[in-house]
Amino acid sequence: MTKLKPKKSAVSHLLLVLIFAGMTGFLQPLSAADNDSWRIVNYWSEWCAPCRVEIPMFNRLRLRLAKSNVIIVGVNFDEDPRDLTLEIANHMGIEFQTLSQQDLDLLGLKPPNVLPTTYVLSPANEVMAKLIGMQTEQDIIDALTHQGLTLLNQ
Amino acid sequence: MIKPINIPIAALVVTLLTCSLDVVSGAAAQTQLQNLPSPAPSNSSLSRVVANESGEIYLSWVTQNAGQATLAYSRLSSEGWNTPKEISQGDNWFINWADFPALSVDSRGMVAHWLQISAQGTYDYDIRARFYSRDSQAWTTPKTVHTDGINAEHGFVSMLPLKDGTTLITWLDGRETKHGDPLGAMTLRAGIFDKYGSIVNEWELDHRVCDCCQTSSAMTEKGPIVAYRDRTAQEVRDIFITLLIDGVWTSPRPIHNDNWQIAGCPVNGPSVAAKNEKVAVAWFSAKDDTPKVQLVMSKDNGLSFSEPIVVESPNTNGRVGTAILDSGSIVVSWIDTTEAARIMLSRYDTNGEFLEYTEVARSSASRRSGFPIIEAVGNSVFITWTDISSVPQIKVARIDY
Repeated sequence: MTKLKPKKSAVSHLLLVLIFAGMTGFLQPLSAADNDSWRIVNYWSEWCAPCRVEIPMFNRLRLRLAKSNVIIVGVNFDEDPRDLTLEIANHMGIEFQTLSQQDLDLLGLKPPNVLPTTYVLSPANEVMAKLIGMQTEQDIIDALTHQGLTLLNQ
Repeated sequence: MIKPINIPIAALVVTLLTCSLDVVSGAAAQTQLQNLPSPAPSNSSLSRVVANESGEIYLSWVTQNAGQATLAYSRLSSEGWNTPKEISQGDNWFINWADFPALSVDSRGMVAHWLQISAQGTYDYDIRARFYSRDSQAWTTPKTVHTDGINAEHGFVSMLPLKDGTTLITWLDGRETKHGDPLGAMTLRAGIFDKYGSIVNEWELDHRVCDCCQTSSAMTEKGPIVAYRDRTAQEVRDIFITLLIDGVWTSPRPIHNDNWQIAGCPVNGPSVAAKNEKVAVAWFSAKDDTPKVQLVMSKDNGLSFSEPIVVESPNTNGRVGTAILDSGSIVVSWIDTTEAARIMLSRYDTNGEFLEYTEVARSSASRRSGFPIIEAVGNSVFITWTDISSVPQIKVARIDY
């Protein structure tokens, strides 16, 4: 089991971990009321080679974070119709939630200038980190750690 | 070779056919913007405007209906847009907002390309092209531009008619991405094709380039110039150029050291324009996550360039175009993202002094709005883009400077 543990300096994050550590099946549809989760938002496109390289890493990380209060979601950069987007996501082997435009509007994110780009959003939907270009699993973990969230293996 | 041109009667007469005419106040002069009617049906997008050496304007676009894509074009005549003519149609095309069909025209003929999926279930696609001869008044059967025979990504084509009736085609070629450990990089290749679509010569211009940015080419007095986004081993993705002079390509070199280092796809290629000995290149970068559109100019056929002029920063997402007017002034198209996206033109004199802005239209920062394309004819600029406010619709406008 893995869980996120805050650094001592991050009191608010400590509360989050106290609330969410040990929870299972936390992945939920995004909603305006869902203000308890950290989000990793990955912009991808089917024609973006480094995006395709990243996807298995995010799939693995999703499992690793499954019992934490961090969820991974994806955005089709190309803004294809919803049905087509889901078809592409399936074809690309994406195992995490793909946001709709409506979901995206709620987050208020501006599309990035480079693909892939991955945002780390606080529960208040603030952009806490913007990771431009292809990332490794460690890059993402480091970004979370930088926010005071530390992934522990148990 | 593209020669200095005068505005043809057809282009002047089209003023009578305009939908609207606005006078835009510029810093240096009054600029007239005319929205032209579009010959493209609804559900069309991916349009390009291109002129031949006589200044005749052609518009190409892709219409999508029920899974079928159709590439068509129309020529602007004294009666307005001619009846659209179909170039090709398919249900297995790779349709992409950034990498889309092009049309090349001169007095001898036309060349058009599209992207066709080469292996179902993959991201591999070929560049297919048809060549039109005005002598025979017929298109060739579709040809595959590249000769590798490898299922890989091929695209981001630019085309340039040459004075001997051949066409220079430049493209990104993924043949090296399918083997090696680690896998090879995207390459930049070019070929010269005769009017039948047969390859006369072919080169690898750069063995490692950015995977997903447009190429651009133009004709200088020395020969063709190709601009593209390079990719170093350290993932620096700055804009490079190479020229074909007396049958030999010059060593690729940067037009400016932005030192933009990213392991990703900017999807924002450069745009090069040339007229006589003058060359202009506009491009987008976002080093330190600061978006910027810049412009460099050359007065010696691209052998040397000025220091960059910042066209806009930071409120832009690029998608640039470049054109040089008969007056020698340079027009750069770009997207302003200050609030709602706006399609903008910025004009500079031959010394790089800013002259004026022109807002062409409110647009969308959405990828589906695509890349506006501009072309200069005399001292006018024709521009096309896609309006996605409802059903996708091609828009065309003319700006007289």
